[in-house]
Amino acid sequence: MLLLALAPRAWLRLPQLKPLALPSTRGGESLHVTCRFLSRQSPAGTGRQGQPQGPGLRTRLLVTALFGAGLGGAWLAARAKKEQWRQQQRTEALRQAAVGQGDFSLLDHQGHARCKADFRGQWVLMYFGFTHCPDICPDELEKLVQVVRQLEAEPGLPPVQPVFITVDPERDNVEAMARYVQDFHPRLLGLTGSAEQVAQVSRSYRVYYSAGPKDEDQDYIVDHSIAIYLLSPDGLFTDYYGRARSAEQIADSVRRHMATFRSVLH
Amino acid sequence: MAAPSMKERQACWGARDEYWKCLDENTEDASKCKKLRSSFESSCPQQWIKYFDKRRDYLKFKEKFEAGEFQPSKTTAES
Repeated sequence: MLLLALAPRAWLRLPQLKPLALPSTRGGESLHVTCRFLSRQSPAGTGRQGQPQGPGLRTRLLVTALFGAGLGGAWLAARAKKEQWRQQQRTEALRQAAVGQGDFSLLDHQGHARCKADFRGQWVLMYFGFTHCPDICPDELEKLVQVVRQLEAEPGLPPVQPVFITVDPERDNVEAMARYVQDFHPRLLGLTGSAEQVAQVSRSYRVYYSAGPKDEDQDYIVDHSIAIYLLSPDGLFTDYYGRARSAEQIADSVRRHMATFRSVLH
Repeated sequence: MAAPSMKERQACWGARDEYWKCLDENTEDASKCKKLRSSFESSCPQQWIKYFDKRRDYLKFKEKFEAGEFQPSKTTAES
């Protein structure tokens, strides 16, 4: 970047430098002098030996700067191309992953039937977990709603629907989900269903879950994959964010997806 | 059994952090943190206590491993 910034100034200075560089190369005499000097035919020389031979320091600096700027420019162009290629590869990989294809049929925390088509036209951030989860689910849900709050505070951005889907249908009924989601965000939607319905939606989003052994209180921990999913208004799986991503990073990514989104349904 | 509410979760995490802090300060000597241990146990579901105990072991191991202090035992290294 520095080289690129310097390059235009270097170009402007070129005409000023030329006259300075000229005297040493006037009439090809410089070359002549060099030859004589090297062959020692006339050790006394012409009295010009003390002067710098070849291109002057400034010229050499200029050439180096121009060469560097060229290299820098080529590097930037290559990097932009690589970035574009990477983006294409990622989009293609996500498309081929075929995550979240097909429909789902679940109940929200108010007992209403919900299917995937109900979310068409909305950006959705979705997380799978369970209400008896000790620390990771509440942390991730807190992060998810933080992203939603950040985005809804920015005028001009489309609203984002936060969704929490349980992987513990045995305990997480409609009432349990209602109690749980109210702690996080007024618009957070809790989804539950029968064991089969939950298995189906989890499979569709490649979410693994496995209930651990029950203790005396009939309590257990459900081991499950942790990722926040972004669905576009077309209902298509668009991106996912692991635990290491911060709310700011996720919000940035969602903003980028919103800026480049073109519906394929119309 | 209903899942803990946000208030209950926060009380549990608070008691856990106090207990873990005590362990940190007493080089993992649990006998010096009995009071905080019982407050931790009374603030969290039993299943969570098991989970957090394992989680602390894991976090301690991770800390050591990342600091480069972890040495695999001879039997592990040779097997």
